[in-house]
This record gives sequence, structure tokens and C-alpha cells, in this order.
Amino acid sequence: MSARIGRLRGLCLRHSSWFVVQQHDQPALEQRQFRLAVKDNIATVSPNSEEETPLTTTCGSNFLANYRSPFEATIVTQLRSRGALLVGKTNLDEFGMGSHSVHTAFGPVAQEGEHEQQAVKHSAGGSSGGSAVAVATGEADLALGTDTGGSVRLPAAYTGVVGFKPSYGMLSRYGVVPYANSLDTVGLLAKEVRPIAELILGGADKVTRGLWAEHDPLDPTSLSHGARRRCASQRDCYTGPLPKDPYPLKNLKFGLPLEYNITELSPSIRHSWSAAAAKLQSLGARLVPVSLPSTRHALSAYYVIAPAEASSNLAKYDGIRYGTRFTPPTESDAAVSKGPEGQEEEEEGILYARARTAGFGDEVKRRILLGAYTLSSAAMDNYFLKAQKVRRLVRRDFNRVFALPNPLLDKPERFELSELPETVGLEDKWGPTEVDFLLCPTAPTTAPRLDEVLSEEEKDPVSAYMNDVFTVPASLAGLPAISVPMRVEDKEGAGMAGLQLIGQYWDDARLLAVAETVAGVVREEL
Amino acid sequence: MPRIPTVELSRYLLTGHIASPGCLRARAALPGKNTRVALGGAPLPSRQLQPRQHACHLTTETSPANPSTTTSSPAAAAPFRKQLKEQAKALKKSGHKKKKSSDNQTVPGWELTVGIEIHAQLNTAHKLFSPATTPFNDPPNTHVAPFDLALPGSQPLFQPATLIPAVRAALALNCSIQPVSRFDRKHYFHWDQPSGYQITQFYEPFAKDGFITLYARDGIAAEDGEEIKVGIKQVQMEQDTAKTTAQPGDVQWLDFNRVGVPLIEIITLPEIHHPATAAALVRKVQMVLASVDACVSGLEEGGLRADVNVSVRRMDDPSGKLGTRTEIKNLSSFKAVEDAIIAERDRQIKLLEEGGEVKGETRGWSLGSTETRRLRGKEGEVDYRYMPDPDLGPVVIGEDLVARLRETMGVLPDQEADQLMERYNLSAKDALSLMSLDGGARIQYFYNVLDSLEERLVADGQAVPEGAEHATLAANWCLHELGKLTDSASSSTSSDTDVLEGLAMTPLGESPLVPSSSLAAILHHLYSRTITAKVAKDLLWAVYRGEIPEGGTTSYIDTHGLWFKELPEEEYAKLVDEVIQGEEKILGEFLRWKQGKMKAYPQGKLMFLVGKMMRGGPEGRVEAAGAERVLRRRIEEVYLPELEKGE
Repeated sequence: MSARIGRLRGLCLRHSSWFVVQQHDQPALEQRQFRLAVKDNIATVSPNSEEETPLTTTCGSNFLANYRSPFEATIVTQLRSRGALLVGKTNLDEFGMGSHSVHTAFGPVAQEGEHEQQAVKHSAGGSSGGSAVAVATGEADLALGTDTGGSVRLPAAYTGVVGFKPSYGMLSRYGVVPYANSLDTVGLLAKEVRPIAELILGGADKVTRGLWAEHDPLDPTSLSHGARRRCASQRDCYTGPLPKDPYPLKNLKFGLPLEYNITELSPSIRHSWSAAAAKLQSLGARLVPVSLPSTRHALSAYYVIAPAEASSNLAKYDGIRYGTRFTPPTESDAAVSKGPEGQEEEEEGILYARARTAGFGDEVKRRILLGAYTLSSAAMDNYFLKAQKVRRLVRRDFNRVFALPNPLLDKPERFELSELPETVGLEDKWGPTEVDFLLCPTAPTTAPRLDEVLSEEEKDPVSAYMNDVFTVPASLAGLPAISVPMRVEDKEGAGMAGLQLIGQYWDDARLLAVAETVAGVVREEL
Repeated sequence: MPRIPTVELSRYLLTGHIASPGCLRARAALPGKNTRVALGGAPLPSRQLQPRQHACHLTTETSPANPSTTTSSPAAAAPFRKQLKEQAKALKKSGHKKKKSSDNQTVPGWELTVGIEIHAQLNTAHKLFSPATTPFNDPPNTHVAPFDLALPGSQPLFQPATLIPAVRAALALNCSIQPVSRFDRKHYFHWDQPSGYQITQFYEPFAKDGFITLYARDGIAAEDGEEIKVGIKQVQMEQDTAKTTAQPGDVQWLDFNRVGVPLIEIITLPEIHHPATAAALVRKVQMVLASVDACVSGLEEGGLRADVNVSVRRMDDPSGKLGTRTEIKNLSSFKAVEDAIIAERDRQIKLLEEGGEVKGETRGWSLGSTETRRLRGKEGEVDYRYMPDPDLGPVVIGEDLVARLRETMGVLPDQEADQLMERYNLSAKDALSLMSLDGGARIQYFYNVLDSLEERLVADGQAVPEGAEHATLAANWCLHELGKLTDSASSSTSSDTDVLEGLAMTPLGESPLVPSSSLAAILHHLYSRTITAKVAKDLLWAVYRGEIPEGGTTSYIDTHGLWFKELPEEEYAKLVDEVIQGEEKILGEFLRWKQGKMKAYPQGKLMFLVGKMMRGGPEGRVEAAGAERVLRRRIEEVYLPELEKGE
């Protein structure tokens, strides 16, 4: 099997460049094999055997355009051992920073459709846009993405596929080029919930172990075997194979977060959301409004923490070791060591600055500057530390609304009734209703048109940050969340949006089982 | 009577500092005298009372390692010997004579304040955050894991074993070990730092609030009296950087073997007020770290690096605030620490006296120079943007580990010095030299010699002597006689000193040139008085020159007929009679003593006569103790009665 390194041309998605690397032939699949597309910020060594040309891991950046990793990401190895055949590396927002997969050195990703006999391109969402399109078009059965603040769930919602972000610490990040380490998780995309659930929980054959049980000693944030077992013992659905029948919705409690009903929420999505809630209720589930008061600060906290970590993680890209130096040998270079005292440093500064100016795209530069500022000694207290406090409050909000306790806490948090916000209704004298899952839209709108996205980016680059408002809280709290396709109707006709389910920490197994049922219910609406 | 300003008074009362340079100071400067005692007052428990405000001098912004000079400066990379040569050259060129350091410990009217940061390479098998092994003079770039090069997607893996030497070091510095500590990223761009940041412990170091006690024997300034306690603010773990080697033609070579090797940084409080004391502190820290096996090599071998923060203030400054400080980076010898502080203090004082202002900046020092040089100012300072490392969890150190390490720590230098002084009757100076020579190997050599000597004595059928006499003898030889070998070796063959480098002492205290068993054999014969001291010294030289193989000492004495055949009693008596000729005046002294006109026995005169006997007697057959015994008896039994009769 030969492999061609290069960008995709002339495949079924003409205008997208979601494959950075693409193989000539579609592999013939044997039993239990599946086609895997990997987001290009996840390290890969060679497509499927060692003889083949090594793959690049570009992160969608000029800096790493020719970078070949000497090692493979743990998650890729794990999936290979479960039958994955690598069919390509997918385009993304540079280093995972973006919501529309347009900030990439390889040209924007798009999903192509028709509107009134006119070809239109819509955003594929970001930053795992390439992976989502690969799944949506059937080029891959499963795709790996990374989710830092919604980067798997948002593209899944825009392209009408399933996007799952597991609990932080469940899937190894070794080999995943970090954007914001404390938020980054590996995510899975597929057309249905089941293939994802089988990988996470183990197949019905009982031969392959579920990914949830595998600790990676190479990732310091991967949960230890002991912690995994302890967490799973407090949860349902981890033992035995995934049941064939839909998970019963009766007696399940879904929370509808009041704070998610924002003015920016498109009316069609609001409508589909309440329709889905009504449908679930008719099937025996209880739906209750809940309050997550810290939600309105979550987005700002995210856009302080993530860029801060990004500015640190991306400090290594200076053109010295790998990547392009972008500096033709000039006379000023020769002057570096000979220059008068004090000059040396300025010359050096130019060396790094030149490489970083040329190597990074605008959005990455924007976030590095943001992060460098919030970490500077003058601003640290006002931004980074405040954002960490907000992060704790967000986590506390979730712990309060979920019926299950957070297994990472030594003892369950206590909440004073008198400290509850007035918006929270009480269930009984013991307090407000505690729920099993939160049910909310994945994004405030359906996929916008690409030309609108691009012009908006120029006018107001920060406006795209708004798309992450529903996905960021679960990321800040490290909770599992999944986006399943939900049909919406608006004046342009029918479209796809995402319905998001969020669970308590390590409740991934039950979340996947319930999501499969919910996805079926929502699909029936189609 | 003039009124003393309150500040000055409180400084005197609380810390024992005296501002006035008058007669009091002259007395205070007497060696070994404590200023506080010299004033006639009761010694104050001053150090404990020292106001805590000093602690803020070394605030968090006291940033260690500066990117451009950390370790890569060519000065630090040059071998120490070369630096010394350059220093000598510079001195010659400038025409400056070396000043005696005791003259310049203080400047009247000014108080110097110094805080020190010491970086030490930990003695560990692995790097701090990767399983790569630590290099030991290995080919470049052979000990590098993906994380050391900051390859995209690689992650830090904390190596818990690195805690052992780190905790030992902190315990030896009397620190309290923190049950929870954390790692932070310190950002700066430099090619020797592949990730663009150094992982260090900025917000929560693993050890805090220690102290180190310096005694007069450690070489502190006379003004600091018999002992001084200097607080240790914190000890933190961090990563080392890559090694840069400058090549001709504007090329730098990088060796990433050293990247990520664990270091500890020891930060003292600004409680040092004299340059010599600062140097003594660095020397003592090195000795302490070596004694608990925490670090690989010393300052002068590059395993330790010191940065000093220097400020001055007028004694009569009513605000009592510390002056603006400057930081001098990368001092590579104890002398450099002292000289750089003196130079920087004098520069700052001169600046202030001329009405100028000290700027907070980073300065450098090269051996042998007379002035520090500016490296970069405040405006060039890097904002390190410290951030907790999001990949690394907290370091939790259990009490059981701390207790275990405390139990197994071994003997600390102060304890060892006390033992040497008490048990073996060594002077403080000798004890300290024995402990510090050959990077701590000489003392081990001494113990080897002593063990071997005692074995030989036991083999002779003697019990191990109760007293310290044999040990004192061994110590003197390990220090002084061995020292003479290398002293003359280096002076006689000064052209190729690199060939004959000292005693080639191994860390375990063994010298291939003078095996400890050979020295013990010589000392055994000397102690048993079967050879004379002169023969013993000749034998040592013969061993050093390789003429006597290990284990061949006794047969060498046999073949060369060097055994001490002492004169028989009557020949000694004859010799006494010979030397006493014409020494009636001396005999008179003995008589006066006998008659009680003189209190002390005229031992000096006796030894003078013994010396005469040694010179006059047959080569190698007169021994001082025998000569003295016979001489004394003859004087008392024969000559004095004769004189008395004659009177």
C-alpha cells in the first residue's frame, strides 16, 4: 500500500482540505477493522506499517509543516490494536485554536452544500473540523479530535455527527500536541454513538478492553489504574458489554440549565431543544430547570486560562530546533556575537521574533499575546488567578446539580441552602433537584456560512469565541460531554445542530448509553 | 552626650551592628572577638531577635538563572585552572597587589547586606522529568529523552528518586520539608532551553525556613565573631539547561545531555554583612552538600554556581531600609564570591557618595578583575510569567520518607570537625583542611590510613591505643607531609603540572600514588619507633616516586638498612657528655630550677641539647625521645650534683 504525502485534491469534498495526508487506496477492511482519521495535532509515525513514508504532524501550522514525530500518540496505538486503519490526517485550526477550522496554514475546512441551486460553503466548526468532515462524508468510520473548549463537540454539531469528549484523564494525551494541558482531552467522532461507546467501554466480544480501563504511564495526567477502578465502582454501565437495547429513560433526571437560554441562542435551536426535552419527558424522563450561576463567567475564564497555557506551550516553537527559522543568513546575524554590549540580546530577540512572526498564524499570535499578558507579573492577579477561581466555581456548580458526587473530591461538597441563588427552585426541604445529566444545545447557532465567518473574523476576531459558550463549562470542570445530531428547521430550511449531554465526572459509560437512546429519539424527529 | 539615632540603637541592640567607626570598632575588629562582647555588654541572643523584615529583601522577583548567562558564559565553561591563570595575568597587568582580605571587610559608615543563591547539581541517576540517565562526561547528545528536547506531544514524568538527594540537602540545611510542593514554569527564550521555559518551584518550594551556622573556623569575617547563623529562605528543585560550546566563526554547539538534569537552588536570607562570611557560607554549603551525598561536584568543578545580591546602606540612615540591590551572576570560586562582593560594595558606595543612585541590575564578574560589569538593567529584565505547570501534579513528601532520610543522613561537617578536634586532638584549622582537601576525599583517605594503621598495631599484638596519639600522627601526615609532596611537585615541575596532578585522590579516599596502606606501614614503623621521623619522610618520598610498591615498605627498609638501631644506653651517655661540653651556662639554668629559683623546667634548653645530640650522633641511630630521656637523667644524676658540690 503506498502513501502519498500532500494535500487532498479532487476527492468528494472538493473545496475542503481536511486531509493533510491521504492515502491512494481505500484499504479493504477485514472484520473488526475500521477506517480512522486522525487530527493533525496528534502524533503519528507511519500510516499503517513501518515501510511506509513517515507521516507529518503539522498541527496546521507553518512551523511544523515538515515535522515528523519520532513517536506515536498512545491513543493512536490503542486504536490500531483495536483494528484501526489510518486513512489520513485531518486539517484543523492551528494548534487547535479556533472555532471554524479556518485558521490553518493549509486553507480553511468547509462543508459544501446547496441552497437554492447555489453551491454554498458552511463552516465545519473547529478546531477538529477536518475530523468531523471526514466522518460526515464517510471518508472515515471514526475520527480522532481534541477537545479543549468544545473543539470536538462544536464541529460534530455543525456537521451533524456525534462528538464525544471523555472525562479529563481518561484518554492518554501522550503524543497530543498540547494547546492548554489542563483542558485538553482526546475526543472521538463518528456517525453513531455505538462505535464510540464500544471503544470506550469495550466491545460486545469481551475480547477488547475498554479504553476507559487503560492507564498510560507516559501521561502524568492519565488517571492511575487504582483511581480508574475506584471511580468506575461508583458508576453504572462499566461492567459488561454495552446493552443492545436502548437505555431506559424512565426515572432519569435531565437538567435544563437556565443560564444557557441566552439571547444569542437562535430561535430554531431553542425550539428544537425544548422539543427534544418534551419528547424525553414523554418517554418517562424527568426534566427540571437547574441553575449554574457561574456559567456567565466561564467563557471569560476559559479565554484567560487556555491562552495562558497556550502561550507557555508554544514557547518552544522558536525556529531553533524544529520548524522553519524563517531567517535567511544575513549580515545582521553575523553581528550577533560581535555587537557591542547590550546589543546582543536585541539581535537575539529579532531572531526569535522573526521566526515566530512568520511561523504562527494570526489567531495563534492573538492568543499567545493574550496569554503572555495575563501571565505577566502585573496582570497575573487580575486575570489568571481570578480565572482559576471562576474555574473552581464552575466545577462547584456542576457538583451541586449532579446527583452523583464527584469522585475526585475526598468528601462530598456541602452547599448551604441560604447561599443558593434565588433562581434555583427547591425540590423539597432538602434542597433543589439533583439531576443525572444536563441537556442543552452544543452551540447557539447552526453552522454559519463560511464567507460570513471569514468576513466576521476580519471585523471582530473575538466574536467567534461566543460559539464556545455551551461547551466551555464542561471543559473547565473536566466533565464528560457528548454532542448528538439534532434536526432544526429555520427559514433557510432544515439543518443540523447539536444536542449536548453533560454528565458527572467519570459517568462516561452511562452518558454514552443514554446518549445512544437520546440520539435515537432526536433522530426520530427527522 | 550625643544622642544616638533610634535606628542605629535598635540595630545594635537587635543585631549587634555598630555604626561608629571609632575606637570601638578597632577593638571589635580584633580577631576572634565578638563585637557585642567587646562592648562589655552581655552577649545578646541577637540572631533570634533579628527582625523578620529582612526576609523581604529576597522577594520573589529575586530571579535565579538569567537566560543569557546561566551556564553558558564562556567564563564559567573555562576550566578553573585556566581561570586562575587568567586572574594572575590580569593582576600582573593591572599592577594591583593583592589586598589582604581581612583589611576590607567593612567600610566605615556603611553597612553591606548580601543574600546568596546557590545552584547545585543533584547526585541522581535520572533527569528530573525524564527517565534519561544523567550524563557523566559522555559524548554530547547521548542522554536525551523526547521530553528533554521538548518534542511536541511529549510530557514530563517526574522521577521520584530525585527527591532523595534533594531532601537530604534540605535536611542538612535545617529546612522544614513541605508535605506538598508544586512545580511552576518560568518562561524565557534561550537556545539552551528547548521548551521555552524552565520548570522550577516558584510558588511552593519543597523546603523552607532553614539556616546554616558558620563558625570562626569556617573562615567568616572576624567582625562576625565566633559564629553566625544565616537563614535559608527556601530550597527548590529545578531543571538545568543545555550546555553551549562556542565554536569559531559565530557558531554555537549545543549539548542537550545536561538539559533537565535536576538542580536545587538554595536561597539565603539577606543576613550576611561581610564578604568573607559570604564566601565561607558558599564553601560550607558545598561541604554540607558533599557530606550528605547530595551533589555531584563542587563550585570549582562546575557542579555548584553562586549568584549574590548586594546592597549597601548608610549606618545612620533613619529609614533603616535596605539599599537597592544588584545581582552578580555565576560566581565560580569562593574567592570570586568575596572579591565580587567587595568590588560591588565599593562601587555602590562610591556611586552613592558621589550623589548617584544604585540601579537594580544584573552584573557579571570575571576572575581577577577589580570591578563588576553591567550585564543588563531593569529595562532588560525578563518577566518570567511564572505559571503552575498544568501537566505536573503536586509533589507529596511523606513524613516517613523524611524521617528515614534524617536517620540515615550520616555525619554532617560540623559534627565531623568537632569529632576530629576532640577525638584526635586536631586544631580547628587542620580539621577543616582535612575535611575540605581533595573535594572531601582527603578525610576519607585519613580514615583509611587510620584503619590500616590500627590493624597493623593489633596484628603486632598491641591493643588499639586508647589515646589519640597515633591518630594525631596519622592526621598530621595526611595533611602536612602529603601536602609537601604535592607542593614541591607542582613547584618543581611547574611547566607540566597537568601531568602530575596532586595525589590523584579518588572520591573513596585512595591515592594510586601514595596508597593508604603504604602510608600506614610507614606510620606503623614510625609509631613503633622502629624507624626515625627522617627515614619515614624519605620513605614517603620513595613511595610517591614509585620506588616502593604497595606492600613493599618493610622489605625496602630491610634492603636499604633503614631500621632504627638505637644507640645503647652507655653510648647515649657518652654523647651527652660530648654535647654538654662548654654548656655550663645552660646547666646553670637547670640548677636554678632545681633550687627552686625558677618555676618552670627549662624544657627549651633541654631540647636545644637534644638537637645538638641528634646532629652530633651517628646518622639514623639517635632518636629524640631516647636522647631526651638519657640527657635528662644524666643532668639530674651526674651534672647537677657535681655543680651543687662545686658551689
